[in-house]
Amino acid sequence: MPMPKGFKSENGYSTKKSLGGKSYQEISNIMSEKGYKMNHSTARNVFVSSLEKIARDVVGLYNLPTDDKSINRISKDPRFQDAIVNFMREIEYEGKK
Amino acid sequence: MKSSLDMYFKSAGGHKILTREQEVSLAKRIEAGDAVARNIMIESNLKLAISIAKKYAKYGGSLEDLIQESNIGLIKAVEKFDWRKGFKFSTYASWWIKQSVTRSLTNNSAQVKIPSHTLSNARKVWKVQKEYRENFGCDPSESEIGEILGLNPKHVREALKGIKAKYTKSIDEKVGDEGNRTFGDTLPDENAVSLDTILDNEKIRKAIVKSLSSLTKREELVLRMRFGISDIDEQDTNIYEIKE
Repeated sequence: MPMPKGFKSENGYSTKKSLGGKSYQEISNIMSEKGYKMNHSTARNVFVSSLEKIARDVVGLYNLPTDDKSINRISKDPRFQDAIVNFMREIEYEGKK
Repeated sequence: MKSSLDMYFKSAGGHKILTREQEVSLAKRIEAGDAVARNIMIESNLKLAISIAKKYAKYGGSLEDLIQESNIGLIKAVEKFDWRKGFKFSTYASWWIKQSVTRSLTNNSAQVKIPSHTLSNARKVWKVQKEYRENFGCDPSESEIGEILGLNPKHVREALKGIKAKYTKSIDEKVGDEGNRTFGDTLPDENAVSLDTILDNEKIRKAIVKSLSSLTKREELVLRMRFGISDIDEQDTNIYEIKE
């Protein structure tokens, strides 16, 4: 059996359960109902591209490489996603106070 | 200006050491209820009480207090001394004085109450450790201490804990000349977040809010649903736009 290699073997990946949200299938269904027609695969692409936008703005602060490959890698990192979700919840919580 | 302790040392030093014959004669008079003889016997041995108290001062407690305790031991020794047994009074009194001083140290010098036998072992262990360090330049192991003192490892461990507990400081103890701060106030907060971290977090936060506000409605909705953040009304503007 080949040795596991690559990003997922090092950092794992975020799941619906770990993020506490909906699956891509559920998201695509709700979005289609709202008029944003999409399938589960598009939902995933939209999710990743949104995170890439955020990652691009954040990596500049840390002098990290800003090439597409690095940005894509960071945006899929569960630790990055975890940090973003925490920031979003914090902002939302403060907004409700 | 001389301190009261210096004056006390001087007055205690003014009394001559008694000969064996004088001790016996005084002891006989004390037995007969002669208070003057009792006082002479006590005053003539104050130097002995001071010298023993000084030896124990390194274990904690103020010298004044230890001298008081030591004098109490001396008084007890005077009352119980039996001249018929043929010993010198100082030999007999030393035991009473030491007992009185060590008991006082056990009861008063530590924040945490430690059994007197453990403290007595702790003193022996402390002495062995000091000598060992001087001779070999390193600390002895528990088993080595046990071997030297003839104690089992459990008692050595308890004694070592006793030494540590003896130096326990109260967190509410006042420190400094003005006495308006406690020991706890001077301890650094290891969980405190540095100013740099706070500023960095604020910078990141701003960058994230900026990015979030640039997302399209479609992207924002997907992100929120995937992250399990409460749904927002479709007509709402990007909520992060408002917060920036």
